[in-house]
Amino acid sequence: MSTYDATGDTPRRPFSRRRARLGDLLLQGVAGLAALGAVVLLGLIVYKVVQGSRLSLSTFGLGFLTHVSWDPVHNHFGAAGFLFGTAVTSIGALMLATPLALGIALFLSELAPRWIRGPVTALVETLAAIPSVVIGLWGIIVLGPVLRAHVMPTLHSALGFIPLFGPSSTGSTIFTAIVVLTIMILPIVASISRELFLGVPGELKEAAFGLGTTRWEMVRGVVFPYARGGVAAAMILGLGRAFGEAIAVTQVIGAFNGGISWNLFSSGNTLAAQIANEYQSSTSPLETSSLFYLALILLAFSLLVNVLAQLIVRRVARRQGLVVR
Amino acid sequence: MPRNGKLVRIAFALVAASLIGALAATSASAGGKRSTGTLTGAGSSLIGPAVAVWSQLYKPETINYAAIGSGGGIAQISARNVDFGASDAPLTKSQGAGCHSCVQIPWALTATSPVVNIPGVPADKLHLTGTVLANIYLGNITTWNDPAIKKLNPGLGLPNTKITPVHRSDGSGDTYVFTNYLSKVNHTWKTKVGCATTVSWPSGVGGSHNDGVAAVVRSTPGSIGYVSVAYTIANHLSLARLKNASGKYLLPTIATIESAAQLVKSERIPANNKISITNPPKSTKYQNAYPLATFTYVLIPQQTAKAAQLKAFVTWALGSTAQSAIKKLVFAPMPTVVVKAAKKTLATIHS
Repeated sequence: MSTYDATGDTPRRPFSRRRARLGDLLLQGVAGLAALGAVVLLGLIVYKVVQGSRLSLSTFGLGFLTHVSWDPVHNHFGAAGFLFGTAVTSIGALMLATPLALGIALFLSELAPRWIRGPVTALVETLAAIPSVVIGLWGIIVLGPVLRAHVMPTLHSALGFIPLFGPSSTGSTIFTAIVVLTIMILPIVASISRELFLGVPGELKEAAFGLGTTRWEMVRGVVFPYARGGVAAAMILGLGRAFGEAIAVTQVIGAFNGGISWNLFSSGNTLAAQIANEYQSSTSPLETSSLFYLALILLAFSLLVNVLAQLIVRRVARRQGLVVR
Repeated sequence: MPRNGKLVRIAFALVAASLIGALAATSASAGGKRSTGTLTGAGSSLIGPAVAVWSQLYKPETINYAAIGSGGGIAQISARNVDFGASDAPLTKSQGAGCHSCVQIPWALTATSPVVNIPGVPADKLHLTGTVLANIYLGNITTWNDPAIKKLNPGLGLPNTKITPVHRSDGSGDTYVFTNYLSKVNHTWKTKVGCATTVSWPSGVGGSHNDGVAAVVRSTPGSIGYVSVAYTIANHLSLARLKNASGKYLLPTIATIESAAQLVKSERIPANNKISITNPPKSTKYQNAYPLATFTYVLIPQQTAKAAQLKAFVTWALGSTAQSAIKKLVFAPMPTVVVKAAKKTLATIHS
């Protein structure tokens, strides 16, 4: 509004006619209504979720966050197992996806021959367009059995002393969910990082080469520090995508609600997957309300992550503005 | 200036177009639901294959049925998003209240059945008892060569494979029947886990819907699951023979399911038609009765605009043409007493 007023004094529309002014008003009204609609919608959703979870909130309070239980027969519900599963799967996916994504981004921005960059960039971005239900289907039919038969036993025999790599018996595991989520967030982190790397000013790179650095030294000394904040924001966006993903995870994680296991090769569950599993099957008002409570936690986390990513992006933009000047 | 006007026109056109689109979409969906000639239903995946057969045969109306699971069916009919719901589990008290005077009518008879994937064991040969089944799902029996399983299967070379119990991850009538049976045969199960469409599983892996459980069992050596009988045929799964109270090891067939349904004759059918026929008692009458047989229900609002069409369809479904058409999917003909009770309830539906 302030920028609008600042330019308002200049003869903005010397030949303005009434029709055009009316059109302007209409446009402003329509666009404003649309924007208002989005805000109201967000408010309504938050309100409905809070209202829906009230019964569960008053029954279990904050204890809901620390109890591992989903027992409709005895009317006892808790979110700890889902919180754990959500944290492990999304952080695990981020740890696998980030190095891969940085490799892809570096290859596409610095290393690849020019003719290869366009097609490969397009293909990486196509990966993001695969519907999650398709990845989930592939996950349960192809990926799960392969991981169970080959990857998990190998990791177990080599690294079995670490509790994370315990014995496996099924393809529907936390690990399978991590791999599926890695595939889903890889294109997000990769394409944002690529843009960031391309945004590194050429003169900085030239200067580094002028000092006689190798390509790797240039990447380490110039590209990475320059893009660091942006990559962090990309990672957080990836994290947000990972812990909100429901369908693909539901298909491969095995929906085990009975406990917390550090063994990645056993079944688990996440907040989003549990909501997707149970939203139509609730047998009591308390169970429905507890599902809303799970949704409330998920919503709070998502908003937090979005705000965090925006703060980082803003900080980076400001700092880079200074660098460029 | 002219550009400005153009912009406004484009904005107008966009708004108008989206308004028209939204109007068209709502009227189309309303039309799809209300127009005569179509009955929409949703719910139980157990009855799904049977309704698919029926919709081919039934001429007066088009039947659109979505096999989204019994829990989903109850939710959809409670919200009146569909004309009828279907569930293998009778409505709980709060579900009954939530559905605002729905009636539940038994309209088919079949079974859910334990399926196994054990390397080296031929199909349909494994013997199991309810107690052993409960202990497997409780996590007390963890390998296939456990003495308790070996004792029931002296001739089989059982491997040292870890057992992976597979259960439904969505709310399911199969889960209801399965846990209903385990609660009847095992006290620990009854007190610790109980019986419902979703329970807190002590161990194992979940699969979504019958197809999901079938997929996990097929791809996991050493696994055991429970699947509606109609799906075991389609998925070529190996069944386990289950011991009934009279001591016989049985597979789910028309004959063994029909024998279990004989149980209803000696019981009075309550007004809400809630009938359980799992684990028939030891007796010469039930010596061939399969212990995991179940009726499955159609849920209809007592007052509905489509009362006449729904009554015609369900009456037809209860008749001999419809019932014998689904025999090949291992749905057994319903006992006369149950059909009678079903028709009595059906008569109370009005518009």
